[in-house]
Amino acid sequence: MAAIELEGLTKRYDDVLAVDGLDLTVEEGEIFGFLGPNGAGKSTTIDVLLDFIRPTAGTATVLGYDAQREGEAVRRRTGVLPDGYHVYDRLTGRQHLEFVCELKAATADLDALFERVGIAHAADRKAGGYSKGMTQRLVLAMALVGDPDLLVLDEPSTGLDPNGAREMREIIREENARGTTVFFSSHVMEQVEAVCDRVAIVDRGRLVAVDSIDGLRDASETGETLYVAVDDLSEAMVGPVAALEGVAEAALEDGHLRVRVDGVSKFAVLHAIDAEVAPIRDFSVVESSLEDLFVRYTAGGEGSR
Amino acid sequence: MTWLAVAKKDFRDAVQSRALWALVAVFVLLSVGSTYAYVEVPELFGGPAAPTLGGLLFFTVGLTGLFVPLAAIVVCQKSLAGERELGSIKLLLSLPTNRRHVFFGTVLGRASVLAFGLGVGLLVGLGVGALLLGRLEPVPMAVFVLVTLAFAAVYAAIVTSLSATTGSTTRATALALGFFVVFELVWDVVPLGVLYVVSGFSLPAESPDWLALLAQVPPSSAYFSTAVAFLPDLASDAGAAAGGGAGTDGATYAAPEVGVLVLTCWLAVVLAVGYTRFAAADL
Repeated sequence: MAAIELEGLTKRYDDVLAVDGLDLTVEEGEIFGFLGPNGAGKSTTIDVLLDFIRPTAGTATVLGYDAQREGEAVRRRTGVLPDGYHVYDRLTGRQHLEFVCELKAATADLDALFERVGIAHAADRKAGGYSKGMTQRLVLAMALVGDPDLLVLDEPSTGLDPNGAREMREIIREENARGTTVFFSSHVMEQVEAVCDRVAIVDRGRLVAVDSIDGLRDASETGETLYVAVDDLSEAMVGPVAALEGVAEAALEDGHLRVRVDGVSKFAVLHAIDAEVAPIRDFSVVESSLEDLFVRYTAGGEGSR
Repeated sequence: MTWLAVAKKDFRDAVQSRALWALVAVFVLLSVGSTYAYVEVPELFGGPAAPTLGGLLFFTVGLTGLFVPLAAIVVCQKSLAGERELGSIKLLLSLPTNRRHVFFGTVLGRASVLAFGLGVGLLVGLGVGALLLGRLEPVPMAVFVLVTLAFAAVYAAIVTSLSATTGSTTRATALALGFFVVFELVWDVVPLGVLYVVSGFSLPAESPDWLALLAQVPPSSAYFSTAVAFLPDLASDAGAAAGGGAGTDGATYAAPEVGVLVLTCWLAVVLAVGYTRFAAADL
């Protein structure tokens, strides 16, 4: 059974289509990254999974339950770190966890849980005095109460320093090793890359790619980019270079030829440029990262929005 | 039973509101001060006779009739709208509960907070009153406190329900204040205005029966009638002294039980509207 199944999920606000016909399946037991620039529709999708908002069309099924009609059953087995939440300032961290235990009818070793998320020292302080990172850790602890079958984490690294983000990833891995499906969103490829089995990339409410990290890497590594310095560089060289076998794209950039190699060895291309266009003085190779791929999929990132 | 857990959480949170306790302090000072004044110089309040318990209770009704709406606004106006605006509602609804439980749990939680603060104020005020009068009548006093707490619960439901219809605390405050102004401050002229219009833009010599009913629409007027309905002896005992405190006219006395009905209607209507809007909202 799929942990999460979206079919034609659509959410329209007055004149904005936040989510546009999203089809997506997250299998049980995987760590699934939901990636996209800010405003791509990630949080809207997650909000539908949790029944915070109602879809305009389509369905969302979570752990076999309809997210809209059987939300309570969904949330009984799900731990959530939502986006744009706020804790109860006048209640202590411990009171927050006690409340979650009560609602989930769960018993948990609260001290061990505070220890695990790294805020044992602040357990009995009012949450209103917590820093952003401590608040994030508290809400993560709330999500972990009752050993959920599914963790839904919306931008879990928000407010965490690099060390905190690493601890967050460790907890995600530990929970997954216990059999928990993890679905988390991020706008940073790096975080997703480090921990996910599969990734979906969304942009402007549409799904633009779903693949394993390895699959995405294969897709990105076929496109190595060379920066070549030649004697007497001129605009006239771009055409002949672009026409060479195995060159997908050529352009001038910062006094270099930028050449994207596709299908052949980069040495064959370098040799051909040296022999047929101009003598090469120097070159460097930039391996396309997943980040590049992400930027390419999402139409140049935030600048183009 | 998650609504009980929600109510308990809400109580724990809201009872720590400083504004509530400031208001309770003001209420205690006011009720002790006015009780003292009533007992020592009843002539000031239109009662030529010696001060009585009934006079004191119905004098206090006038005070609580104003205090409860204001305290309800302070305690409840931001309840659900505030949770939505800040986003704590997302933490709440990430848990295995549902909107019905969150709505009714919050109403119950806020009503308890208001009843708690008001209860403290009433006990101090009435205690001082009993001391000054030199006599304690537990049954009518308990009835009075219960009626007043029920009135507070209805007001908590009204303001919390208004808060549930919006995700903006600014709008929630405007709704709560608007309700207060329309139904508690300017309502006195509404029945007269309606009568004026339906009588062909002139005021008839005889007031029709429905005028009394219309005058009962404000929750605080209904509260006054309810108190009269449950404490008829003390009410007639208090007589004129009571009338000055609540600002209702003689027709209200015709059927004080109507007050109970009006409060029940308010409760049913606001809960239905508040819950329906809250259940359908995108958070």
